This record gives sequence, structure tokens and C-alpha cells, in this order.
Amino acid sequence: MRPATVRTLEEQNMADGVLYFEDVAEGDEAPVLTHTLTRTDLVAYAGASGDFNPMHHDEVKATAAGQPSVFGHGMFSMGLLGTAITDYVGVGNVTRFTVRFARQTWPDEELHSVIVVTGTRTEDATHLIDLDVRLVNAAGEEKVVGEATAKVPARG
Amino acid sequence: MADDILSTIIGTPTASTVVTVERGQLALFAGAVKDDAPEYRDPRAAADAGLPGIPAPPTYPFVMGNFGAYPELQPADAPTGNPMGAVLGPLMAKGGIILHGEQEFLYHRPVFAGDVLEGKGLVVDAYQKESKGKTMTFVVVETAWTDTTTGEPVCTSRMNIIHRV
Repeated sequence: MRPATVRTLEEQNMADGVLYFEDVAEGDEAPVLTHTLTRTDLVAYAGASGDFNPMHHDEVKATAAGQPSVFGHGMFSMGLLGTAITDYVGVGNVTRFTVRFARQTWPDEELHSVIVVTGTRTEDATHLIDLDVRLVNAAGEEKVVGEATAKVPARG
Repeated sequence: MADDILSTIIGTPTASTVVTVERGQLALFAGAVKDDAPEYRDPRAAADAGLPGIPAPPTYPFVMGNFGAYPELQPADAPTGNPMGAVLGPLMAKGGIILHGEQEFLYHRPVFAGDVLEGKGLVVDAYQKESKGKTMTFVVVETAWTDTTTGEPVCTSRMNIIHRV
């Protein structure tokens, strides 16, 4: 759900690159990560993940199986969204990340992250922020939809 | 009967794997998910971020069983053969396709380069739904990763696989 007003990154005090709990408010949006998918991305992900399902790198086999072309690994989409999340909350701070795979991704599609703060809470002196996370294409079609929680530092 | 398949697969162990988490693999994986953060490549950057080592990107636990699972590390009682194949085989025998429907990670702490972790997988749920004339079978596999040195939980991965026929 998109809030009526969106605070700029300057208003969120992210100038020094660290997201502090006090500076996060419900409705805040994370910086958008944009990436246009290439076949090379899929080959690189296959090698780095060990997932050599030919539907993701072998155009001949993919088209023989009735697909218009190779298509992206769902876990590449989740990984790309993970990159957008850690860019925002800080590397090593994610405590939960869950998604549903809604649609396949295709080479040449422009993918972008949509990350919105849905809540902030403090449990046992741990400061947590809850996020609604999505990866969508340029037409706004949802590829991956989910939630994440991160533990972030307080200014103290 | 489909229901017979469901009741037989719930509780099936799918894996028991010990892996070493290697620094080079983490940097390679970070690059593959388009993450150029220095914390994944430079221990000084990781230390500056307050981390005790080079961390793994959030989705790395999904693939870490594919790397660094060296034979001498493996538990003697690990399931042999292809347990996931045995779970999905009776479903695949009916034709149809297998999809990765949902994926969840719970992190007790980040995974770090140098960790030696044991992952124990289990089919924790299986159920069916009819949708638009197709039978959808959902199989939920949970893999709990623990630190072999301390015994502490590190990460739980929950994968929802859909068979559609």
C-alpha cells in the first residue's frame, strides 16, 4: 500500500548510508533497485547457485519445451530483491525474508524493487522494521511478492 | 490415491548435509544477485559494518548445500540417494510440472565465511487443492541450519513446492 506522502531519502536521514531505527517511519519507501535482465545474468546465477535447470540457460531446450525463451530463476528474482533490501537496511541485518513467486521473468525485462515500511517495533531492546517487498516489471506486473523484517541500530 | 502419497511424504527427511561456507563463493553469489556491497568482499568493510566476518547474501542459504559439502564432513546417518526425488517421484509419475511456489528464510544470525553448518531437511507439510480443473499438490520442506561448532541455530529455510497436474 503506497502512502499518500513519501519521504525523500534526505528526510529519512540516510545520507551517511546507515538506516537508524529512529529515522524509519511507516510508509517510508526504500531506494528503488532497477535491473534489466539478461541471459548472461541467468548463466552467472546458474553458476553461482549450482542450479543448472536448462530452462534458465539453454534457449534450445526452453523453446523445445514450449517456452518463448529461457526465463529467470525464481531465486534470482528473490536474490535481486534481497539486494535491494540489504541496500536499505544494511548487510547482515535481515532477520526474516519470505516471498511468493507470482510470475516468470524474461530476458530484457526491466525489473525494479518496491519496498515499503509497514511497521516498526522494539522487542527485548531489539529494534525491528517490517517491510512489504515486491519485485515488479516496468508494466507493474508482480514477479515476487513478500515480506521482510530487519534488525536495525538505534542512534542511542 | 493422492492422499496416500501425502501421508507417506510428510515427515520424510530430505537432506542432512554439512557444508563449509567459503569466502570466494559468497563474493561470486553476491555478484550474481547484483550486489556490489563491499561487506561481501572485504573483511575490513564487514568489520566497519559491525560484522564478525564476511556475511552471506540473504538468499545464499538456499544454495549453500550445493557447495562445500565435502565428503569427509558428511554425517554417517545422512539420507542416501535422492530423497527429494523419492518424495516427488510419485507425483511426477502422474505428469504435470513442479514449481517453486514460496520461499521463506528465518535468520538467527547471518551466515559467515568460515562457518561449518549442518542442514537437516524435512517434509513438514503436504496438502492438495483443486483449482481450475487441476490438482495442485503443495509440499513444504523445512531445512534447519545449525552451527556445528556451537550447535546454535543459524537459519531456517522453508520451501513450498507446487506440483500441478
